[in-house]
Amino acid sequence: MAEVRLVDIEKKYGNFLAVPKQSLTIHDGEFLVLLGPSGCGKTTTMRMIAGLEDITSGDIMIKGERVNDKPPKDRDIAMVFQNYGLYPHMTVRQNIEYPLKLRGMSKVDRKARVQETAEKVELDALLERRPSELSGGQRQRVALARAIVRTPSIFLMDEPLSNLDAKLRVTMRAELKHLHHELGVTTVYVTHDQMEAMTLATRVAVMRDGKIVQLDTPKKIYAEPADLFVAGFIGSPSMNLIDGAVQSGVFRADGVELPVDLAGCKGVVLGIRPEELDITEDAGAAISGKLYALELTGESTLVTLRNGPSSVCARGHADFEAEINSPCHLAPKDGARIHLFDRATGERLR
Amino acid sequence: MRKTLAYLGERALLALISFVVLFPIAWMFLTAFKQPRDAYSLSLIFEPTVQNFVTVFSEPWNLGSMVLNSVIVATVTVAIAVPCAALAAYSFSRFRVKGRKFLFFLILSTQFIPAVVIVLPFFLMFRQLDLLDTRIALIIVNLAIVTPFVIWMIKGFIDAIPTDSEEAAMIDGASRLRVIKDIVMPMAAPGIMTSSIFCFILTWNEFLFALILSRRDAVTLPVGLVSFRTERGDLWELMSAAGVMITVPIFIMALFIQKHFTRGMTAGAVK
Amino acid sequence: MKDRLLPYWLLIPAFIIVLATTIYPLAYSFITSFRAWDLTKSRRPEGFVGLDNYLYAAGESQFLNSLWVTFVFVITSVILTVVLAMALALLLRRKGPMHTFTRIILILPFAMSPALIGVSYRFMFNPEFGVIANGLGAVFPALQGVPWLADPQLAMGILVLTDVWHWTPYMTFMCLGGLASIPRETEEAARIDGASNLRIVFGIILPQMRGVILVMAVLKTIFALKMFDQVVTLTGGGPGTSTETLAYFIFNVGFRWFDMGYASALAWILTAIMMFISIWYVRMLLSERKMATA
Ligand SMILES: Nc1ncnc2c1ncn2[C@@H]1O[C@H](COP(=O)(O)OP(=O)(O)OP(=O)(O)O)[C@@H](O)[C@H]1O
Ligand SMILES: [Mg+2]
Repeated sequence: MAEVRLVDIEKKYGNFLAVPKQSLTIHDGEFLVLLGPSGCGKTTTMRMIAGLEDITSGDIMIKGERVNDKPPKDRDIAMVFQNYGLYPHMTVRQNIEYPLKLRGMSKVDRKARVQETAEKVELDALLERRPSELSGGQRQRVALARAIVRTPSIFLMDEPLSNLDAKLRVTMRAELKHLHHELGVTTVYVTHDQMEAMTLATRVAVMRDGKIVQLDTPKKIYAEPADLFVAGFIGSPSMNLIDGAVQSGVFRADGVELPVDLAGCKGVVLGIRPEELDITEDAGAAISGKLYALELTGESTLVTLRNGPSSVCARGHADFEAEINSPCHLAPKDGARIHLFDRATGERLR
Repeated sequence: MRKTLAYLGERALLALISFVVLFPIAWMFLTAFKQPRDAYSLSLIFEPTVQNFVTVFSEPWNLGSMVLNSVIVATVTVAIAVPCAALAAYSFSRFRVKGRKFLFFLILSTQFIPAVVIVLPFFLMFRQLDLLDTRIALIIVNLAIVTPFVIWMIKGFIDAIPTDSEEAAMIDGASRLRVIKDIVMPMAAPGIMTSSIFCFILTWNEFLFALILSRRDAVTLPVGLVSFRTERGDLWELMSAAGVMITVPIFIMALFIQKHFTRGMTAGAVK
Repeated sequence: MKDRLLPYWLLIPAFIIVLATTIYPLAYSFITSFRAWDLTKSRRPEGFVGLDNYLYAAGESQFLNSLWVTFVFVITSVILTVVLAMALALLLRRKGPMHTFTRIILILPFAMSPALIGVSYRFMFNPEFGVIANGLGAVFPALQGVPWLADPQLAMGILVLTDVWHWTPYMTFMCLGGLASIPRETEEAARIDGASNLRIVFGIILPQMRGVILVMAVLKTIFALKMFDQVVTLTGGGPGTSTETLAYFIFNVGFRWFDMGYASALAWILTAIMMFISIWYVRMLLSERKMATA
């Protein structure tokens, strides 16, 4: 039972407001992912939960108890640091063992536990090395191992997979997912990688300038982004955002003409995901322009076309081929979700 | 052609520098092994002897007791100053407590106080307490110059250590004191070692305090040098032998820390 | 709650030492500087005399002489040390076995006891059997029989020499540290742009070393102001009073003539000079930092 509640917390560094006043409840056993661009306050939020950073105002409650004045060691958390935070003077084994040692676990138990954890993160061959003799990815795995070697009531993970190669990242992701499933420990996880966010999260909190702009399940965030920022941030390639205006139920921009579910409004941004666009031969299609770029990603081809200032991307069949600069047309798939946002406020209109 | 000239010029310059650095030291070492009559000639060819060392260690010079005094004073000073300074340096480096800047500046600014100012009151006080000419007196005044300096130096070293590992240890369940013991001190060990040796050298070479506060019993090596200035003139060969005794242990230590030296100095100075 | 006080607990031992060994004596000698106290006559301090000790100093020629001597010494030794150290560092920062060797032995003069340095140079400049005195005489006949340490100007020169010999290595290390922290790219870019060596040194390297040079100059000034050890062992303040630095003069007043009140006042004058310089130093450094970050 470890529910974490942040109540009206705020963090200032001198005059700089890193995290404005806000509240957040992380449910027991939840896997909460903090997602946002660099410098948006993810690490700061996490460090406040850990007790490494004083909070300027507000309360942090863990298991219903106010922990503002509790030192980190009494909060029963484990953390993976963005820059590892390894003990350079200890071997990998000693690094992983240290939290167990502090908790007075017997030598024999410690040894077994370290071995087991090291195998999980594929470090068992490197146990006698020092951190300085490891690669970035290996160091990150040591940091991860040190956190998962014991079972705390909360895991805090700050981009724990960012320095791993693509293959290992996928394996470790599955490993983390499994671990969470097995232990059910409340986890707060910071990442830049939407794939990680989508696959791991129970809920995702998208942050911007220290504020959580949307907090929801991955599905919901993908399907119904709360505003322009989230819409542009989630998804890869990101959602097409086209500047235009709506007049009597039709959205218009250079080369774009699309009936929408809105009477009329100036300064509208229309959003549609590349996955939900089809390439057609039909010259009367909703979106037309000149082919600008073709990028083969393997399972599909990204098709970018341009018309005036706006460029639109669609995910087409891997076999699609055409001449650059030739005319090109796109149409929304059946049942495609069309998002409309207010350009001035960024808010969702429809 | 121009390149080889520049190359040779640079070598020659380096050789000249080494000569200027080493010559006075080498001359002292040579003189220490000369017989008195050779000491006053300039010849490089002489019959080496250790007689001078035998002489300085026997009556009336008794260099042995001075060596002992120097060793005790320097060791005890280091043993007191470095641990205290390391804790303070950690506090200054890691905590943003109120008045920190002021305290640090206060401690640093004591570096700028001339030793004469410090020694006057201590001379009077030790006279009252009958502590003149004791090692304790020397240790106390040496702490005055050494402690602020070592705080400053160790702080430079600790500042250069990233805080991540400490934070990780706190989350892993260590208390602050445990963090200092398990994480900070091992990581700062080279810096602390360097500072300790530096502090030892400073105390070992200290002259003014020892000159004023010691007479017979607590005389240290540098002050002992002055006693070779007799009515019969300066006894150079004996002074040189004593000089060798002063320098050899210090040179060994200095060469030991040479690598860390540059880093420690500039880290402290520029921050 | 205990953790909140920890930063202070950690400071306490060191702070007690500093308080007891410097702040207390400082305060004590400050008070003494307003008293008359001839230690040969009385074990206890006599009455307060106001500013008499300070006023006396202002008119005493021997004090003014020591002030002048100190001034000359500080200026020459600081300039020589800093310039030499900078040049040495530029030479030594390259790689090479001879460079490394020179860098390593450079620590020796600094580790040597200043008192011993004074003694050694006194020996080497002895007109009869000093190796430098005779060596110079052999190479330059004009210098034969020069009474090195018996001549006021030459004695001062040798005093400065010993100090420069002692301090240049340390300052060179500081310079090397500073040079190492300059990003290599700026220099390489200038080289590609076709700048000559001299231009690189004066146009690229030295401007970036301003902070380090400033710190060096001030540190050296502070230490030069305290110059004492070699004065005792090399010149004894002489010939006459020509190398009698302020620190040495204060020592004489206090521990030869035992005039504690006057010695305290003089000590405080020296302290004031140093404080003035250190405050000025901090301000310079702060503005330097501002420039660097701007
Ligand atoms: N110690 C500090 N002093 C002042 N400002 C800070 C400090 N630490 C962080 N900040 C600022 O607070 C903001 C949030 O920083 P934070 O490290 O939480 O970002 P982040 O979301 O983790 O970014 P990244 O993805 O790059 O790790 C940044 O603008 C940063 O510059
Ligand atoms: Mg971060």
